[in-house]
Amino acid sequence: MRLLRQTWLLTRNDLRQEARRLELVLTAGFFTLVVVVMFALAFFALDGVVQRKAIPGMVWLCIAFVGALTLTRVFDRERESNTLAALLAAPVDRLAIYLSKLAVTLVVLLTCSALLVPGLGLLFPASQVFAADPLALIVLMVLGCLGYAAVGTLFAAGLATGNGKNVLLSVILYPLTTPVLLFALVATQRLLEGHPELWATLSQIAALDVVLIGVGAWLFETVLIGAAHSSQPARSPDASSRAAAARARSTPTN
Amino acid sequence: MKYIPYALLLAAAALFPYCVQRVFLHTPIEAEMGTAQKIFYFHVPLAWICMLFAVICGVAAGVQLRRRSDKAEALAVAAGEMTVLAGVGVLITGPIWGDATWGTPWTGDARQVSTALLWLVFVAYLLVREYGPPNSERIAAALAIFGAIDVPIIYYAVKIWKTTHPQTGVVGSLPQSMWNTLFVCLAALMMLSIALVWIRAAQARMAIALDQAWIAADTQPGAAQPA
Repeated sequence: MRLLRQTWLLTRNDLRQEARRLELVLTAGFFTLVVVVMFALAFFALDGVVQRKAIPGMVWLCIAFVGALTLTRVFDRERESNTLAALLAAPVDRLAIYLSKLAVTLVVLLTCSALLVPGLGLLFPASQVFAADPLALIVLMVLGCLGYAAVGTLFAAGLATGNGKNVLLSVILYPLTTPVLLFALVATQRLLEGHPELWATLSQIAALDVVLIGVGAWLFETVLIGAAHSSQPARSPDASSRAAAARARSTPTN
Repeated sequence: MKYIPYALLLAAAALFPYCVQRVFLHTPIEAEMGTAQKIFYFHVPLAWICMLFAVICGVAAGVQLRRRSDKAEALAVAAGEMTVLAGVGVLITGPIWGDATWGTPWTGDARQVSTALLWLVFVAYLLVREYGPPNSERIAAALAIFGAIDVPIIYYAVKIWKTTHPQTGVVGSLPQSMWNTLFVCLAALMMLSIALVWIRAAQARMAIALDQAWIAADTQPGAAQPA
């Protein structure tokens, strides 16, 4: 219960900051529109049958792009105002930090999908079948984005202190989120085809989300504490750079 | 202990020519795929080695995070590099074989996709270790753990993704003589990879110890500097 309350407090804090400036939502939302228009330009000539096969890929590629953009910003804000150490020193469970960042990312991604799916429906007639089963569509988008954000939040937290290391986030993110994106692709394809096993696939995504969030929560503390300060490990986190500096300093005296 | 990897290297060097001779001269040619099937004796052991060291890297990374153990970290680095190396071998031999027997190098089969993704994850692991921020050991370790968990899931996901597409059988039942040859090749390649991982892990441990010695020397001005 305490964990949930702390998570809610941290999430509300982030969402309030977001509501004041709308930075994440506006940039990510506009980026979604840009991607949809680019998809429309690139795949305009596809006929109905092919469109239906291409649309799951468009949906989840767009989410993957927007997600990487959002995740770099979610922790940047803490880094820029130097509040990451304060957040870690605050009397909250580290798990609550992870869950709140996950929730914020999820909110941004879902806002983007609220633009993305109708946008695709407008530009690609084949995707209008999405409207046939709105409940399944919402469940699908929530579960898919949740799994993506669960992996992404962990690594965005780890890279939070590395200035200009954001390229690495994409390098890590895309191979690691492939399982959840693949499952989401399968489910989207089944949603478009009206496949009877749609809900079975959705429950598989839900199970996968539980695993990803579990592993993410388990690893979050180790990864993030390495990022903020060294808590007397056997070997301090920046050992190699410190050693290199020591070596460089000692060379002239030899 | 110190000489075990070198003994393994020697044994692998001695066994390898015998493997080649056995593969090309003493094993019957497979009826359906012809001579092209000979690549199987190197492709499959490499794939097994790739998977094995991916799992070892994931487990070692878990131990590294839990116990903050330098030994486990060194093993994880070495195993990660071996996974990438064996993965390159698999990803080169696989499409050659596929091109000769299926007529196309890439069919999007579950095994192909999951091997390729496994390889990407471990290349990312090495990239993060090499170019990451100061805490990159931890991020990389988390990445390796996720990678080891991801592989079976990807395999299953591609399998159901592909239910709408034609299935491709990879290898049917093989006669015992072919299996025996496969195991000889596996032994040679396995000895080679274990020896390489062993040597690399020892070297990585030494590098970590040297870093610590430099820091110790830097923080205590009076102490002797490492050579």
